[in-house]
Amino acid sequence: MSKGVVYIVDDDEAIRDALGWLFQSRGVTAQCFASAEDFLSVWSVPCSGCLVLDIRMDGMTGLELFDRLCEMGAKLPVIFLTGHGDVPMAVSALKKGARDFVEKPFNDNDLVDKVIEALAWEAERVASAADAASLAQRLESLTLRERQVMDKVLAGKLNKVIADDLGITMRTVEVHRAHLFEKMGVKTAVELAQILSQRR
Amino acid sequence: MNAPRSLRDRQAIQAMPVIAMGLVVMLLGVLLWLLHRNEVEEERRALIQDILWVEQNLYFHLSSGVERLGQLAEMAGRDGPWSDEFVLQGKALVTAAPEIERVIVRDGIGAVVQSLPPVESGAALGGDSEWANTFALSRSSGRPVYGPPYTVEGKGARFEAQVPIFRGGRFAGTVAGVFSLDAMLANRVPWWFAQAYRLEIQDGNGTLLAAKSQLSPAEPGASYTLRFEPPGHGLELVAISYHSDPQLLRNVLAAAIFILSILSVSSLWALRRHVRRRLAAEQALRTEHSFRKAMEDSLTVGMRARDLEGRITYVNPAFCHMVGWTADELVGTVPPMLYWVPEDLEHTYELHRAVMRGEAPAEGFELVFRRKNGERFSALIYEAPLIDSDGRHTGWMASVLDITERKRAEELSRQHQEKLQHTARLITMGEMASTLAHELNQPLSAIASYATGCLNRLSAGDARPEELVPPLTKLGAQAQRAGQIIRRIHDFVRKSEPLVVPCLLDEIIEGVVGFLEPDARKRGIRIDLDLSLTPGAARPRVEADHILIEQVILNLVRNAMEAMGHTPRPQRRLTISLQCADGQARIRVADRGTGIPPEIAANLFSPFFTTKETGMGMGLNICRSIVEAHRGHLWFEENPGGGSVFLFTLPEMAG
Repeated sequence: MSKGVVYIVDDDEAIRDALGWLFQSRGVTAQCFASAEDFLSVWSVPCSGCLVLDIRMDGMTGLELFDRLCEMGAKLPVIFLTGHGDVPMAVSALKKGARDFVEKPFNDNDLVDKVIEALAWEAERVASAADAASLAQRLESLTLRERQVMDKVLAGKLNKVIADDLGITMRTVEVHRAHLFEKMGVKTAVELAQILSQRR
Repeated sequence: MNAPRSLRDRQAIQAMPVIAMGLVVMLLGVLLWLLHRNEVEEERRALIQDILWVEQNLYFHLSSGVERLGQLAEMAGRDGPWSDEFVLQGKALVTAAPEIERVIVRDGIGAVVQSLPPVESGAALGGDSEWANTFALSRSSGRPVYGPPYTVEGKGARFEAQVPIFRGGRFAGTVAGVFSLDAMLANRVPWWFAQAYRLEIQDGNGTLLAAKSQLSPAEPGASYTLRFEPPGHGLELVAISYHSDPQLLRNVLAAAIFILSILSVSSLWALRRHVRRRLAAEQALRTEHSFRKAMEDSLTVGMRARDLEGRITYVNPAFCHMVGWTADELVGTVPPMLYWVPEDLEHTYELHRAVMRGEAPAEGFELVFRRKNGERFSALIYEAPLIDSDGRHTGWMASVLDITERKRAEELSRQHQEKLQHTARLITMGEMASTLAHELNQPLSAIASYATGCLNRLSAGDARPEELVPPLTKLGAQAQRAGQIIRRIHDFVRKSEPLVVPCLLDEIIEGVVGFLEPDARKRGIRIDLDLSLTPGAARPRVEADHILIEQVILNLVRNAMEAMGHTPRPQRRLTISLQCADGQARIRVADRGTGIPPEIAANLFSPFFTTKETGMGMGLNICRSIVEAHRGHLWFEENPGGGSVFLFTLPEMAG
């Protein structure tokens, strides 16, 4: 059972109700909204989850809502529900970064599978975003000297050479090195290189 | 642009005689005035000459009188004033010189010692009462002296001339002659002078002393004054010319000239008025003419006049423009006309003869003419008899309208109308299909979701029946909703039941091709029609809804055109053929497009399947439904030359 919320935005009540029931039958929590405006009034960027969005609605259309979310910098995956003849629109949405689209009437478990997959991806995205954020924080906490020492370490230089380069004693280099390893939460230079390469 | 100038010229021309007339009159006036002045000068010269002459004459007589007195004085000095000789001479002098009234002899102390003629006792001597001055002067100077004039009551003015007497060289008195001015004037001024002038003698104060011709002239003319010396003492001779008779001839002449001038001026003025009126009339005529010409030239209707033989007598620019020949080329020509269509000569002649007989239809008739460049055009002609100002019938006037454009416009508007109808039909069908798809999508999606949800719960193995009741109930409701939509569509379709009538397939095909022709031209596609209509054979007829079959063909042709979007231009050929065999009419639409790949071929006729970006996937499906509703078949094949062929059959009508 994956954790995560699916937001369903569709102006047809029967479809909202039916999809709610369907996701519930697969153990996915669903929140339904009758319009794009309703959704925007409760949702904010930090909320994670997967958005299932009807492309054609009265008032603000699904595409408009999607554009709005892009402007707000939302990263959550969006899956469009399209009617007949809306495929070109859906394709243009994909180009703008929507995750997928499903044509009505759909093979329903297919939709659920896609949502579950998207939620898993979303969870990973949130986690890695958190990792990146903490790595950035750790790098921030380094002093200038520690930073210089770290660059030399990553370049594969020995403590002696580093000491000569920076015009300090070897003992001081060792102290800096111990400090920065501690701050970056690593035991070895190899580990340090690994976490930094992920970030790139 | 030369109007003002010509107007100026005209005004100048009109003004010239008047100016000339004025000049003539003025010069004549000047001439007359010069003549008059000459005359006056002449008169004055004559007056001066005459008065000088008179003065000379008077002077001569006075001198000679005084000379005679001198002789008497000599005699008196020698013989004494009483001698017979003296008395004789003295009397003779008084007689001979009429101006000398008497001779008075005074002695050395001024006493009168002798008077000739003798004075009767008691009568006045008539000498100068102021004689002493003259006497003294004469004595002191020893020369004759004239005394001042004096007036004797009732006898007029006189004066004395005293001549000294010397005896033995001593002064012994004077001999005085009493001169009468009146007598002098009366006797010494000739008649011709008196006729022309009044002669006056005045003293220094302007007092009249004597005058010849007592009549003072009614209108005094020129006058001239001369000092009267001797006797002097401020005496003056004044000659006043009588106002000469007005010179009749000259005045008559002047009057005649004047009257003539007035007459000429007035006649000129009348002439000018006449010319003005004429000019105004001409101007009006010109204006009228240019107005008519402008009207004629601006007509878009061709005008053509013919005489009774049918010879063209007049064409307007619009007609020339219409047929392309110039007026010079057309006027004077006889039938057959240049613009008649050779292949239709007989019919045209017939109409022409009908017109000449006066049997032209009043509502006009249509005829095809040709232009100079060979182009044909339809003309609408109205003929009307030409009646001249005497009411005689001289020919026929026709108005000719080029109705090619109008016909084309009518055709265009008809096509446009058809296009609109087609579009409207398409829109209706498209909308219907689209609405159907969308409306049905919603309940079907909901049904599928409910069903899948229930299945998910069931397959999980821990489902309780009661939890499945609400979704299944809702599923049922959605199925109902879908049913209602279907019913609505049925109603809609029933409203537009196919109207089955016998129709000609070739006509339908041609209509569709006509409709799509512009589009095909734009895409560079050549459409070949093979309707295999053998002359005499019956054209294939089917019982069908004309509009629906048209839709099918339209759809197939349009698909074929779109299929050739990537075909090289020269190879873009679309062939539509119609054949009949075994009671079936078969229509074939072949394109040279990319053909249909097998993976698509399977789905080609399924609803909502489309290979086009903007397609709805209804076209072929609906087409097949329509054909099948007409008991026909629709299928497709590969085109051996590349591309694909769509075919459908319809059962032909018997007979």
